[in-house]
Amino acid sequence: MRIYVTGYGVISSIGENVEETLLGLQSEKSGIKQGEKVYTERFKVGEIRWTNDQLIERFQLTQQASRTAILGMIAAKEAFKGHTLSPDVRTGLISGTSVGGMDVSELAYKDFLNGEQDDLNTYRNHPSGTTSEQIARELGVSGYVNTISTACSSAANSIMLGARMLLSGQLDRVVVGGTDGLSQFTISGFRSLMIFDDEWCRPFDESRKGLNLGEGAGFLVLETEKTLQKTGKTPLALLSGWCNASDAYHQTASSPEGLGATLSMRGALEQAGLQPSDIDYINAHGTATPNNDLSESHGIKAVFGNTIPPFSSTKAYTGHTLAASGGIEAVFALLALQKGALLPNLNFRNPIEETQLIPVKNYSEGNAITHILSNSFGFGGNNSTIILSKV
Amino acid sequence: MKYFIQHIESISHQNTFQQDNIWDELKPLEGENALISPDYKLYIPVAALRRLSTILRMGIAASKVCQEKTPLEFDAISVGTSLGCLTDTEKFLTTINTVSGDILSPTAFIQSTHNTISGQISLDLKNHAYNMTHTQNALSFEVALMDGLLCIDEGKKSVLVGATDEAIPFLERLRGTLIETKSPFTTGATFSVISPTKGNSVAHIIGCEIFFSSEGTEQLINQFLTKHALTLENIDLVLEAGNTLVKRVQKHLSFITYSGYYQSASSFALHLANDWFKSYSNTKNILIVNNLESNKLGLTLLSRNEVEA
Repeated sequence: MRIYVTGYGVISSIGENVEETLLGLQSEKSGIKQGEKVYTERFKVGEIRWTNDQLIERFQLTQQASRTAILGMIAAKEAFKGHTLSPDVRTGLISGTSVGGMDVSELAYKDFLNGEQDDLNTYRNHPSGTTSEQIARELGVSGYVNTISTACSSAANSIMLGARMLLSGQLDRVVVGGTDGLSQFTISGFRSLMIFDDEWCRPFDESRKGLNLGEGAGFLVLETEKTLQKTGKTPLALLSGWCNASDAYHQTASSPEGLGATLSMRGALEQAGLQPSDIDYINAHGTATPNNDLSESHGIKAVFGNTIPPFSSTKAYTGHTLAASGGIEAVFALLALQKGALLPNLNFRNPIEETQLIPVKNYSEGNAITHILSNSFGFGGNNSTIILSKV
Repeated sequence: MKYFIQHIESISHQNTFQQDNIWDELKPLEGENALISPDYKLYIPVAALRRLSTILRMGIAASKVCQEKTPLEFDAISVGTSLGCLTDTEKFLTTINTVSGDILSPTAFIQSTHNTISGQISLDLKNHAYNMTHTQNALSFEVALMDGLLCIDEGKKSVLVGATDEAIPFLERLRGTLIETKSPFTTGATFSVISPTKGNSVAHIIGCEIFFSSEGTEQLINQFLTKHALTLENIDLVLEAGNTLVKRVQKHLSFITYSGYYQSASSFALHLANDWFKSYSNTKNILIVNNLESNKLGLTLLSRNEVEA
């Protein structure tokens, strides 16, 4: 049985919807700039300029919620546009997030620490699970709702779980993806790890120093062949492969040889019934930290040998959007499939000395692209790969 | 498909860790019961132990025993947690609001993400398999279990399914406003090994489903049981979060009475059910009804293994 993509939606610092996002990718302009919020102003971030209230108004959302939930609602609504709910199409929603409603609860908690009256109601929006329930409510989805929280691979894992729920016949259609809003907690956390680059991040470049954070959300709608007969939707792409594997090396660092990455890429190829030579483009995880990019490079070399397909990290466009990245980059992959596009790895100059891999440097369309492999790796050695293919 | 419970371990406010049958010493929980922690040095290297919060310690220790007691290396790990690593989350929130300067210790941040639990388990067991962390408020255990059962459907042979949450004093502030319960807030972890073959198991899981609905609990239960060709009359014991079904069923216990309140406590009910089968040989079917949160329902159906002739 095949799993089809019948809708997608995205919001990030390069665009508030799919159309703007494509223009952003084509223009080769990064969405990363000096932050404008109290907690981002010292950093280069892929920030969405609007406040939570502005976003609710711009996108006519019906619920007050955390930034993570709001961004998720925006992208999921776009993905689900044109789809209709009916009792004979059992529809679920799986969303990934790392911090859930932290952006609002951290403000209340700060009041509490300062001995001021904190609004207890604010904490209602805190749990990660609540963000997904709010997104589901915005779409009217009330069947199976679940949240994956595996740090930066959360959205990829949500996509994967959605496909498996469809294959097992527990659902007919599922909205899958991930969302993360920037918060003081996240900014301070990554600062404490000392893996920020003060300049624009440079994935896969010898001089890379670290990442820029970003925020956003990306969602897909997945359906089975059987469901398509009921919904009459036109399939836009195939979700042909997926795999999650554990690096089991270190809580935050990736193994030098990229074992987890190798396992997840091989597993996804096997699931799809594809050979490495079938892959036309790799959207790498490529956070621009010294450790990730070296480890992922070794993983790519282990899987693809001497004939490495065009690859790039799009993190220099959006910043690292954490739990959302796998969803946002899945949308990038869908656009790339549609346009035959190779997406550039902005800010790249010199290859990593040890691995000598050179990513795609410029945007181009009209390439023969049938299969795209997309990597998402998270803390805890959580490595995931999905493969999107032309129908 | 039957999903056999090969082994199950709980760390709770009662004597439940590494016990043959937890019912032997179980009592309704009193407010003053504290978490009974095993001697973690037996399971975790001392150097690592110092940095680990309770929720991480519980996850590693319970998983380690589960792996030791079962023959196959786990080929999937699925963990549920509602609020995740609360101690470290609160610690880091406090740090960023009170410590000035640019140097912050990253440990609490690193260990605050929900999947630190499953990540630490994979690290400790050197396990490279599928590793998933689910979080869905009071249904966090059920969504993790559903993934675990799906793994068995897909051909996996030995799946670790667990759920855990930890209480912090801050939660008391939300009692009555955001959290409606009179039970004490507790900390707990239950980890189990699910397999497609009987092995040494006593019972198996028949199915698990979740519902987000304001429909009546009993109506949803009947729909669920009908799918498995059963009715409420066939259920010998109902383990419910609350007490709404007490007059409607043959035998009824509230699992929160024994576990205390944490949002993934229905995982503890799985342990209660598994060991109940050991104590009462005439019990055929047990239903776990997780209605801890309103308009959300988790149902898990278990059955005693048939004796082979």
